[in-house]
Amino acid sequence: MLRRQLFCLLLFLCSSLLAQLPTNTILVKGAEPSASDAKTPLPETGRIADNVYENRYFGFSYPLSSDWSEPYSGPPPSDSGTYVLGEFVPSKAFKGPIKGTILITAQDLFFSLIPPRSAKETIQYASDHLQPYYTIQDPPSELTIAGRPFARFDYMSPVAGLHWYVLATQIRCHVMQFILNSRDAGLLDGIVRDMNRMKLTAADAPPCLAGYADENVVSRVEPVLNDHRFNSIPVRIIIGTDGKVKHVHVISAFPDQAKIITDALVQWRFKPYLQDGQPADLETGLLFGYSPPRPQMPSTPRTTAPRETTGDVSSQ
Amino acid sequence: MTTRRVVPLALFLSSMFVLQGFAQTDPGVRGGGAAAGSPLASVAANSPVTVLDFFNDGKSRFQEIDSVKGTIGGETGFGLGPRFNSRSCAACHAQPAVGGTGAAVNPQIADATADGAQNTIPSFITQTGPTREARFVFFTNANGTPNPNAPNGGVEDLYTITGRSDAGPCTLAQPSFSSQLANNNVIFRIPTPTFGAGLIETLSDETLLTNQQSAFNNNQGITGTFNHNGNDGTISRFGWKAQNKSLELFAGEAYNVEQGVTNEIFTQERPLPGEDMGIIGGQSATNGLPANCRGNATPEDHTNFNQTSISTLSDLVQFAMFMRLLAPPTPSTTVPGGATSITNGRNLFISIGCAICHTTSLTTGTSSFTSSLSNAQANLFSDLEIHHMGTTLADNVSQGGAGGDQFRTAPLWGAGQRIFFLHDGRTKDIQAAILAHNANGSEANGPSFTFFENLSTGQRQDILNFLRSL
Repeated sequence: MLRRQLFCLLLFLCSSLLAQLPTNTILVKGAEPSASDAKTPLPETGRIADNVYENRYFGFSYPLSSDWSEPYSGPPPSDSGTYVLGEFVPSKAFKGPIKGTILITAQDLFFSLIPPRSAKETIQYASDHLQPYYTIQDPPSELTIAGRPFARFDYMSPVAGLHWYVLATQIRCHVMQFILNSRDAGLLDGIVRDMNRMKLTAADAPPCLAGYADENVVSRVEPVLNDHRFNSIPVRIIIGTDGKVKHVHVISAFPDQAKIITDALVQWRFKPYLQDGQPADLETGLLFGYSPPRPQMPSTPRTTAPRETTGDVSSQ
Repeated sequence: MTTRRVVPLALFLSSMFVLQGFAQTDPGVRGGGAAAGSPLASVAANSPVTVLDFFNDGKSRFQEIDSVKGTIGGETGFGLGPRFNSRSCAACHAQPAVGGTGAAVNPQIADATADGAQNTIPSFITQTGPTREARFVFFTNANGTPNPNAPNGGVEDLYTITGRSDAGPCTLAQPSFSSQLANNNVIFRIPTPTFGAGLIETLSDETLLTNQQSAFNNNQGITGTFNHNGNDGTISRFGWKAQNKSLELFAGEAYNVEQGVTNEIFTQERPLPGEDMGIIGGQSATNGLPANCRGNATPEDHTNFNQTSISTLSDLVQFAMFMRLLAPPTPSTTVPGGATSITNGRNLFISIGCAICHTTSLTTGTSSFTSSLSNAQANLFSDLEIHHMGTTLADNVSQGGAGGDQFRTAPLWGAGQRIFFLHDGRTKDIQAAILAHNANGSEANGPSFTFFENLSTGQRQDILNFLRSL
């Protein structure tokens, strides 16, 4: 009898637990990223393991000091193609008297809300538009980190006593920024030095080109969005050598929107991209849904960024 | 990104804050008289002529207590229920003055049994707790368990008119709050203050988009977006998720949902979510509200053809007009902490990145109502964008384009005299509200972390003083 009662109690407790929704969990998502396949690396799928941040899409790995970690993941990519790749802070093992943050972001240059179309332009734009409550410590400059061209500028807040070092490079038509923040400039100098331990290759990345889809589409099936959410839906695609879409990355959309767009895009056909006279894979972007007001854009050639594994920042 | 590290470190950070306490403290609700509730300056000057009459009439209606038939003494508003959360606009929008947010004493305690009503007070409604509405995250299965494939998110009114002296034979059951609380399937919202609402309404979409663009390259990884009206695609801006386009829509929905009064925008008596489809879990199909609970002709609030002047207007129109003509809160320049601390706190607040979302000021367009709304500085401390706030604040309710963890940047004007913070009123401590910005998936991790880890105790205190000066 007692065993039976205990069994019933256990059953009741189990069923209660099963019914309970988890806490601190986002169960009802809004616009979110999705992809047509699970194999192709995506910008937002970087991971940290053994204190090394690795991102296969951008082809880089960044070893962190052992006393830094990532307490919280960032938000999903935005409808303007902004990614928070990682935000690192000192862990409890950190011995320094003053703390700081390392924020790594990427801005998709196809969907940015502001004019810059390169790392150098982004840094110059940030310097030119610095708010009056900050002062520039070091104006925009160019440097090489881990064998790769970067643009950089430093500023500070006198009232807060905080320093920001902003270092930007360009990969796959994204501006990747390392934003370092602390009251201790010496701490930030050390982080910059340590950035030389990064590996930045992106060797397998296809070239990327703005506007290719619009100008080279041969046939298309229009995605019919039958909702009224008025959200922007940025999409990256990789066009194969046969002119077919071999990968769709919907950066921000509601699931029903993403399915409609993906189902349509895989039916599009393009003129194959030619590199040195030979068909080659190409990555480009398309914007669906609501198109927000845009700033005056630079001319198309400045958005061309073929195989950005080497070269001068100023040429990007 | 690194889930293995997230939980232990988050727990460590949280425990550090909790165990050690904060060296700096929230000064609490700013004392003195209410620094809000007055009409805009041009309205007070009665420009244009008679506008002040409209403000005063709107305020009077805003304070009116509703009953089912409007025949109870002191409760002359008409159309309460059959389901409701409270009986008057001003009951919920009360702190620190009519038009504000939840007061120190929760009116929903008295509402439960007023005029003979027989409601059970849910556990999350207390005498000194936040004034709240409740929503179920998911619809439930037949056995009452949440169905994660059926998002709900609609308001579950706390009370019914059953038993009231003016309810007639209407018999309705309250939602099963206790079982859904046990299922962790209930979220809460508190009233948003409406001071300065006319300034918010007068901001052009272009101004908001330009502000978004100017804050775009912010070096904090913050990128908000806007919620939009599903009819015309313009930016919506009222409500916790910016789900409402205009003050009339905001007022009309609240009148119907919170008080159960049908009106010219929301014309039908509102059942609970699913009640009209017979899908309320664990209960038999009810097919909507019983006829004997819908005793009034609809809409209960409407244009009054047999009246003259202001009296012809519906309550809905006048509620909106009252909110539209309310002046924004007046910040203190010296309290708490003194002028130097407040000024320093403001500069720090901006410098560490809080003002990326909590935009200090936006300029309104040209208003046809009254001059104080035209080309005015709205010091609202909000960009009116919706931002991902992550797992700690997520309420898993989707409204328009806003997902489960996206919220409109809460305008901070008047924060100095608010009692409860965050969408569900979970805290009275403004520091706890800042800490809640730290979470997986939050856009605000950077500024919040900087506040707690990269500023001195004195600097943090300055920011808290500044926030309580608003």
